[in-house]
Amino acid sequence: MTVVESEQSEKLSTAPEPVAPASGSGPLRLALRFWRQLTSMRTALLLLALLALAAIPGTVIPQRGLDPVKVDNFLANHPHLGPLMDHLSLFDVFAAPWFAAIYLLLFVSLVGCLVPRIRLHAAALRRRPPNAPRHLMRMPASTQWRTEADPDDVVSAAHEVLRRSRWRADCRDETDGVRTVAAEKGYFRETGNLVFHVALLVLLVGIALSGLYGYKGTALVTQGGGFANAREAYDVFEPSRLFSDSQLAPFSFTLRKFSATYQRSGEPASFDAYINYKKSPTAAAAPFDVRVNHPLDVDGAKVFLVGHGYSLIIRVSNAAGRTVYDQATPFLPDDSLFSSHGVVKVPDLGGKAQLGLTGFFYPTAGVSPLGGLTSIYPGTERPVLSLAAWSGNLGLDTGTPQSVYSLPVANLKNVGVRQLTPGHTWRLKNGTRVTFVGIRQWATFQVAHEPGKRTVLVGAVLIIAGLLASLRVRRRRFWLRAIPAAAGDTDRRTVVTAAGLARSDADGFADELETLLAQIGVQGGRPPSGAEGTEA
Amino acid sequence: MSPNLHLAHTSDVLLTWAVFAYAFAMFGYAAEFAAGRRVQARGGGAEVVGRGSRRAEQFGRIAVVLTFAGWAAHLSSVLTRGFAVHRVPWGNMYEFSCMVTLVAVSIFLLLLMQQPLRRIVAIATRRPSRTVMTWKARESVRYLGAFVMAPVVLYLGLAGTVLYAAPGPLVPALNSYWIKIHVVAAITATGAFMVSGVVTILYLLKERFERGQPPLRVSLAARLRSPLRPQRVSLGPGTAAVVEMGAARGGLMRALPEAANLDRLAYRIITFAFPIWTFAIIAGAIWAEQAWSRYWGWDPKETWSFITWLGYASYLHARATAGWRGRRAASLSLLAFGFLMVDYYVVNTVITGLHSYAGVS
Repeated sequence: MTVVESEQSEKLSTAPEPVAPASGSGPLRLALRFWRQLTSMRTALLLLALLALAAIPGTVIPQRGLDPVKVDNFLANHPHLGPLMDHLSLFDVFAAPWFAAIYLLLFVSLVGCLVPRIRLHAAALRRRPPNAPRHLMRMPASTQWRTEADPDDVVSAAHEVLRRSRWRADCRDETDGVRTVAAEKGYFRETGNLVFHVALLVLLVGIALSGLYGYKGTALVTQGGGFANAREAYDVFEPSRLFSDSQLAPFSFTLRKFSATYQRSGEPASFDAYINYKKSPTAAAAPFDVRVNHPLDVDGAKVFLVGHGYSLIIRVSNAAGRTVYDQATPFLPDDSLFSSHGVVKVPDLGGKAQLGLTGFFYPTAGVSPLGGLTSIYPGTERPVLSLAAWSGNLGLDTGTPQSVYSLPVANLKNVGVRQLTPGHTWRLKNGTRVTFVGIRQWATFQVAHEPGKRTVLVGAVLIIAGLLASLRVRRRRFWLRAIPAAAGDTDRRTVVTAAGLARSDADGFADELETLLAQIGVQGGRPPSGAEGTEA
Repeated sequence: MSPNLHLAHTSDVLLTWAVFAYAFAMFGYAAEFAAGRRVQARGGGAEVVGRGSRRAEQFGRIAVVLTFAGWAAHLSSVLTRGFAVHRVPWGNMYEFSCMVTLVAVSIFLLLLMQQPLRRIVAIATRRPSRTVMTWKARESVRYLGAFVMAPVVLYLGLAGTVLYAAPGPLVPALNSYWIKIHVVAAITATGAFMVSGVVTILYLLKERFERGQPPLRVSLAARLRSPLRPQRVSLGPGTAAVVEMGAARGGLMRALPEAANLDRLAYRIITFAFPIWTFAIIAGAIWAEQAWSRYWGWDPKETWSFITWLGYASYLHARATAGWRGRRAASLSLLAFGFLMVDYYVVNTVITGLHSYAGVS
């Protein structure tokens, strides 16, 4: 009996029957065998587990995509192991060929699994519910009763009730006037399952689209300054493989004001970048407040606020009194309290020697545990600029590009150090005057364009919908058999047997069956008492 | 707005009460279990255990009342915390732990109340109460009590001590309505996975018992001894004692429902939690797209959430694969739960990433 039951419940699944591996040799056979192996559930399971395992090193080993500085440090500290690991792409796990191999195999296996399943399901959707088994009382849920009603009436009432509850139901005739109803419901389970898996493919396509046609870049803009969306305007620009400059939307913006507020503890409370932006050079300017969690969406590109810091307005005039440098110079933050560093390069001081300034800026200066200066609060409550002046050849014309944030001082001569507060001027020995005029804030913006984003979102929504259907909907069957009273029977009544079968969660199904039977009972002449409830 | 410290203190006190109530409830459930077992030992091999014992029943009822009391204090603690800090009460790891355990206890109570609730619904809708088709009546999940309370008390203990964060506002990165969507989904799924993990462990124990395998301790002892004195494995007095203890555990095992039922319950909870977890990841991606300018960046938290997802996906696939049903699938589900714990504890505190909001100093 248990055999009958398990056999029946197996059939409720539309999972493809396991195919015996093709035997023999020959390249075609071998390929077929490989294909069957690849598309088997077992392989899919293995690949899923493998993908999970392969992702783990990406969270333990520093990754270039997340923290390139950490990777450089690791390489410096492990001169032998580092390059070997680099060779194995262990610093770019999620872009590694072996990682790609796993998920591509998984997707190939998925497609190989999906195609036959979709075919099977399409056929199942057209098929009528299977005939009632001979021994209905052997089903996990079954009941039997006798009624005065005619078999035809019982069957048509049941059919009507089932149709109203959106079951796929058929009335069938057996021999000797025996009539049955066969019904099935819950095809949506497999539909959902297939939708879920197809959605995974949609997701992959979306990711690929972004990877092929998108771009992203970051730009630092000081308060009062502007940005126009062109490759040169970016400090860092990362185009995708098939990107062309014509994809850059012609928008521009100016940073009107940047405001950052902090809690007393120094934890950030809010950041706002107030910008005026234009969709195109000729369009009218519109104001926008770019915040964390509140990016500007313009022509398919999104502008995010990703960082901020201080720009110091520094003016340098030479011994003759001519102003040779007057700029808001961005200083890069070194810690969360905005101790920052920056560099001023003055190639033309009037004489032969060039001037370089290296500086540390503390928005609210305090004394560090080591006795030096440090920042104790990220807001500008007690700003101090600590400068060192260097004289000599800055090496700007050697042809090697230099960072604007660092100054190689090996070949330069130190000509003094000084701490300045805003508005104060430092007079060097050679007559050069360095004035700390004031402070402005800068913000870094990331502009990102991901053409596949919408596809990814559609895929994600379908994934959820498919999952819900495939996990919540139950495939279930229902049968009813009405046997007319035999000629010699003293109790001249129709014998009705009904049975149900569900794959999982028998409990909810019991309630459903009860409701169904109650409805059929009312119309099919089922007596309210005397039903012989039986358990399989 | 600065936090209301008085209210925050009330919240802390309420949580302490909740922990004590849960701890006592745990002892109550355990006592019910043990009392039931003793009856079984005296009765000499009756199959249904613990039902007949009045004392066991009393212990169980007291435990349920304590669980409800603890749950009420727990819920009030979370609410007062929220009012104290003028925001959603799940902005750091301490608050998150409180929420996850609240969900876990809620799910347990819901499962516990399922039958009474159903009866109420049936009466309210005037559905014929007589069962027409006889099905095996669902067993009460009270046996789960001790096993759900134990990790909950542990979680809350950790939350209240190691992970405790003083009340304060949210950092700007968290200041978005997505915190309500993404984090609530993550909390719900985590709480549910926690309960399913407990049920899965019970399933594995019971399944082993049903197969007639000796309890873990005996086989371990035998394995430890065998290389030294292989002939005397079953003869040594020490082994005999262990076997006796194992038999006592067999009594406990007998008090658990059938392995198949445990398996089905674990599966049901996972089919509830898995779509929610999926949704949490997707909502997180949408939020990440707004906050960090990309929807997926292989940040450690994202990666471990994905690994956890793959783990539970493997479990669901394994259940449908011949040769992987039952024990192996259950092990996969436990492995996935392990991933979830790494995602939660290790990623938040050890690995630095964009999700470093633990507030643990």
